[in-house]
Amino acid sequence: MGGIRLDGATKVYPNGVTAVEAVSLEIPDGEFMVLVGPSGCGKSTLLRMIAGLEHVTEGRIFIGDEDVTSVQPRARDIAMVFQNYALYPQMTVEDNLGFGLKLRRVRKNERERRVTDVARILGLDTLMARKPAALSGGQRQRVAMGRAMVREPKAFLMDEPLSNLDAKLRVTMRGELARLHDRLGVTTVYVTHDQVEAMTLGQRVAVLRDGVLQQCDTPQNLFHHPANLFVAAFMGSPSMNLVDAAVERDRVTFAGFSLPLPDDSPLAGETREAILGIRPTDLRHSREASPELPRITVRADVVEELGGVSNLLFLLDAPRVVTDATRAAAEAGSDDEGTLLADDQRARFCASVDGRRNVDVGEEVELAIDNTHLHFFDADTGRVLGDSTIPA
Amino acid sequence: MAERQSAGAGLLRRLRPRRRDEPAPGDPRNIGWLYVLPGLAFYVLFTLAPLVHTVYYSLFSWDGLTAKTYVGLSNYSSAFVDSALRSSFVHSAVLIAFYAVIPVILGLLLTAALTRHPVRGFRFFRTALFLPQLIAGVVIAQAWTWIYDDNGPLNWALREVGLGSLARPWLGDFSWALPAIGTIGTWVTYGLCMVLFVSGVQKIPSTLYDAARVDGAGAVREFLAVTLPGLRGEVLVALVLTTINALRSFDIVYNTTAGGPGGTTLVPSMYMYQNAFLYNKVGYAAAVATILAVTIFVLAAIVLRVGDRSERA
Repeated sequence: MGGIRLDGATKVYPNGVTAVEAVSLEIPDGEFMVLVGPSGCGKSTLLRMIAGLEHVTEGRIFIGDEDVTSVQPRARDIAMVFQNYALYPQMTVEDNLGFGLKLRRVRKNERERRVTDVARILGLDTLMARKPAALSGGQRQRVAMGRAMVREPKAFLMDEPLSNLDAKLRVTMRGELARLHDRLGVTTVYVTHDQVEAMTLGQRVAVLRDGVLQQCDTPQNLFHHPANLFVAAFMGSPSMNLVDAAVERDRVTFAGFSLPLPDDSPLAGETREAILGIRPTDLRHSREASPELPRITVRADVVEELGGVSNLLFLLDAPRVVTDATRAAAEAGSDDEGTLLADDQRARFCASVDGRRNVDVGEEVELAIDNTHLHFFDADTGRVLGDSTIPA
Repeated sequence: MAERQSAGAGLLRRLRPRRRDEPAPGDPRNIGWLYVLPGLAFYVLFTLAPLVHTVYYSLFSWDGLTAKTYVGLSNYSSAFVDSALRSSFVHSAVLIAFYAVIPVILGLLLTAALTRHPVRGFRFFRTALFLPQLIAGVVIAQAWTWIYDDNGPLNWALREVGLGSLARPWLGDFSWALPAIGTIGTWVTYGLCMVLFVSGVQKIPSTLYDAARVDGAGAVREFLAVTLPGLRGEVLVALVLTTINALRSFDIVYNTTAGGPGGTTLVPSMYMYQNAFLYNKVGYAAAVATILAVTIFVLAAIVLRVGDRSERA
């Protein structure tokens, strides 16, 4: 009953900019749905359209079974959590929590009961008399969450609620948020630009780019079966390695390397050009991998030792793949590797190997490529090739 | 590591020994006073000294020319029983309503309306509304004297719409002269309030309005929960400025009614002027001026104090 359905939702601003283009999405009751994409992709606008804060130019929005396209925000029975928390600075924590109920004329004892309950769950009971200015970032965040929770709405809409927190607290709150959702089971739409947040929180993740829905699926499927080059390059950190390649029957050739293709490989048996994508985790140190996998020998250009894993960055004797999609994904990602040396037009690959393997910069390393997990994309359309799980 | 650091510090000390009178790095330096000096000198010379002088004169009976006679506090004691002075303060209170309260309320209402429905070409209106602040008081007084004239545009308009019975020489009317002057004050100060408030509203995060809308607030609730608290600082500043303006208003009164008719628009500063320059009671005028200054000081302090408390509560 608290599901959300978008039916061709479109937002065109008066200046002619299309922020959201014909997005259709079905969010079942109780699902945790994450909208993710680079800044300016329209994810926040879409959320505000669901909230009723943004006029819908075209298409329809349903909450529950009700068409709310032209319903005022207050009548939509949704609660929203904002990036800057948007707490009323002159009100105490208690008043902030109860304000929405007061406006809805909830009886006083009922209001107090709900506020007390939520304050207890979120550990705010000792802070009730304080004002937002006297709270830490994490506490404000909890008040903002609490304000949404006391309303007991059909759905929570969250607009980058964790991005004002420091890195450590963000990870903690991420876990808390997931637990909270398990406990309350309320439909949640969550906007973020952080693909790690999207992967860890979302039951399903909708990837947006330039106002267009790219793919909506479980985090696992997005990672392993990206529908196009943009999703492939955007999801995953470090991001997917991409290079121009030629497939000829049972072999794929790129940058002077030639690998055999397993029979069940997407393009096995075909002959064509394509963009080859390899996840950094599918490049392993030779000694960790099964002997059947094909090997390539590269020279480590940069070694990032993260402890558990080491990222080996190396250059390929092939041009860097530059399309609108990869550029958009790279701008969004936190890792802007390669842009520092913009004059070097060679493709840069990353291999995530076991952190116990000591590799020095400049050293030759033999890497095993998991050729059962290769991705191929059409160079013109960016669409994935030969992945039967993706609807055409 | 620690050893190396201390060795380095010791080296630095040896390279540049600190003189005994030299302050430690980071300590405030006395040279700061030098920077303050020019401003301070002007302040002492042209604000503080006249203030002290005025208080000093108020202890004398003096016509401004001949020798002064020390009379102690008798100027003050006669001021407290002076019914003209008392009524001038009552007039000031009425002017505070026109100069401070009405403009602040008007400004708030208009600001609230503007945040809900942005108006095209607002920058033009903002400039236009602020313009009275830039015009000399004498000019404003002249313009309004003409507007209020028996044959002026206001009366003409009243007669045109059939309300000729209301037409009157506004500034010469015993009961209407003070409100007429007050209206001028409203016209002058409300643009200032408006500009203050509109720029203040822009500092309020727009998500706060979003939150209020999602929480279910209508226009009135939104104003009370978001706009008004967000503008508290600006409202305080506006109230202090306009209240002070109202209390010390002189130029507009002097150039329209000069306190008339029959003293119905007499304000303290006007009364002070009359005593000092028309009745040659400089000592008494100084006492009036001192009382006025203290009143302004106390009122401003009260406004700021009340605002400060509501912020902390």
